[in-house]
Amino acid sequence: MVNYRARLDYFVSVAVVIVCTAVSIPFRNKLEVTDFAMLYLLGVIGVSLKCRRSAAILNALLSVTAFHYFILPIHDSFVLEDYSYLIPLVAMSAVALVISTLTYKTREQAVAVAEERMRNALLNAVSHDIKTPLASIYGAATTLLEEQKRLAEPERTELIQSIAEQAERLNRIVTNLLEMTRLESGFEVNKDWQPLEEIVGAALNRLKNALGDRPVVVRIPGDLPLICVDDVLLEEVFANILENAVKYTPQGAPIEITAERTGADITVWIRDHGPGLAPGDEERVFEKFYRGKTNGEAGVGLGLAICRAVINGHGGAISARNSEAGGAVIRIELPIGGAPPQLGVFSEGAVQ
Amino acid sequence: MIDTVPPEIRPEVLIIEDDPQIRRFLRTSLAAEHYRFREAKTAADGIKEAASRQPDVVLLDLGLPDTDGIEVIRQVRKRKQNFPIIVLSVRSAERDKIAALDAGADDFVNKPFAVGELLARLRVALRRSTGAPGDASAKNFQVGDIEVDFVKRKVTVSGNDIHLTRIEYKLLQVLIRYADRVVTHGQLLNEVWGPHHNDQTHYLRVYMVQLRRKLEADPARPRYLQTEPGVGYRLITE
Repeated sequence: MVNYRARLDYFVSVAVVIVCTAVSIPFRNKLEVTDFAMLYLLGVIGVSLKCRRSAAILNALLSVTAFHYFILPIHDSFVLEDYSYLIPLVAMSAVALVISTLTYKTREQAVAVAEERMRNALLNAVSHDIKTPLASIYGAATTLLEEQKRLAEPERTELIQSIAEQAERLNRIVTNLLEMTRLESGFEVNKDWQPLEEIVGAALNRLKNALGDRPVVVRIPGDLPLICVDDVLLEEVFANILENAVKYTPQGAPIEITAERTGADITVWIRDHGPGLAPGDEERVFEKFYRGKTNGEAGVGLGLAICRAVINGHGGAISARNSEAGGAVIRIELPIGGAPPQLGVFSEGAVQ
Repeated sequence: MIDTVPPEIRPEVLIIEDDPQIRRFLRTSLAAEHYRFREAKTAADGIKEAASRQPDVVLLDLGLPDTDGIEVIRQVRKRKQNFPIIVLSVRSAERDKIAALDAGADDFVNKPFAVGELLARLRVALRRSTGAPGDASAKNFQVGDIEVDFVKRKVTVSGNDIHLTRIEYKLLQVLIRYADRVVTHGQLLNEVWGPHHNDQTHYLRVYMVQLRRKLEADPARPRYLQTEPGVGYRLITE
């Protein structure tokens, strides 16, 4: 990937010089030398803005050389008789170097700013989102220790319950932070042919307690083909989306999961019946550390970012919108991933 | 239930775990449930204790300070010690779980776990060593509306006959034998189709989907035939 980018940059750099030269040569005797210098300069600026610095510098040097060799009146020679030509030459290479360096620095700064913002968000997540449940655990536990004798049974139970719940919340936050880190440091996708029904079933089972008796309607056609995905990661995706539906919609509001084959893809819609997304949130919900407004406890804001990383890693797409009937819809498109295997030697005849 | 059993023959649990806090709460909850227990802080200690004490069940942490917990399983099984081993593992380490199960562990619990979940796994593991529901010699099996008559090879759901293909029936049989315990894809493939088919997991998945459609009220939200993503399946009877 990196190699490909570098090669592309150098290719563009060389190509721009060739194009500038090819365009200039027919007009060599009709226009002023400085006009050609401007053309090369334009090329240098373009390359400096779009490509890496080394490619821009290469472009500047090649431009100077080509300008010398093809454009200056003394063709096929580097010997200069009139030193006044030297000024545009020096100016061009200087401008090229300065612009490419400045562009590079600006780009570097933009990356630094983005990284800084990310670090701040992470720090904020760690300090606030981890410390909040930790504070309630610590508080409840120390209350139990110190007020042991004075607390009535229901109060004690309440504190103990709070410890268990907050520990679970902390676990979810830490799990998501770890998962995001793992996904960002390049992750291995263990793909195999999977029935979607089974993955959805596993996610529903994992969230059994959170879902309670909330109605969940699953519509997966019986003849939906197998899909080549990583079952562990995909289950994570569905679990995160379902968890959001539980978190952001009123208790008992139904959830619908519908799947359909759409050409070479399988498309899945997860629809809830809550307040829906705030206007303008359709894209933002997939950003890291972005959180919508909940009535209860918010997570760390990584759930959907994890989903997007996983789905993109499978060559698919995930998006969010509000449905006309109200409520949010998450749409996942996943490529089936080739021709699903046929039941050959494994058919019934193979069993003794 | 255990508290009606005289103390000296109550089941003994060997805890192999290096973290003192985890050992502390395990101790408390096991004692409350009237189990006897021993503790080991390292793999070497654990192997030694397992050999000398012959515990009824082992709780094993995989991240031990001296050696990988999987090594404990290998050593113990190499000595033909047959007691159940429950691995305490972290989520998202599916490969470690499979390695532990393949090495001879019986089940796993994801850390952090609720004590109720651990105690349920413990009961299942102990049942395995005493023989109950998954017993191969049993003539029938029943969970919820599902009934299996092993003699007549007949399966009914709410009294209605269900036709299972031979593979589906074999699959169900194996899952019943391991009732409430995780069965890896590899184990199932091996037991149903025989060796040399370990890379054909998708066939197994297709048959599991079919089996659910025949036995479960809502196959997309199975009550009995549950999936452990990346690891295998578990037939729930409790």
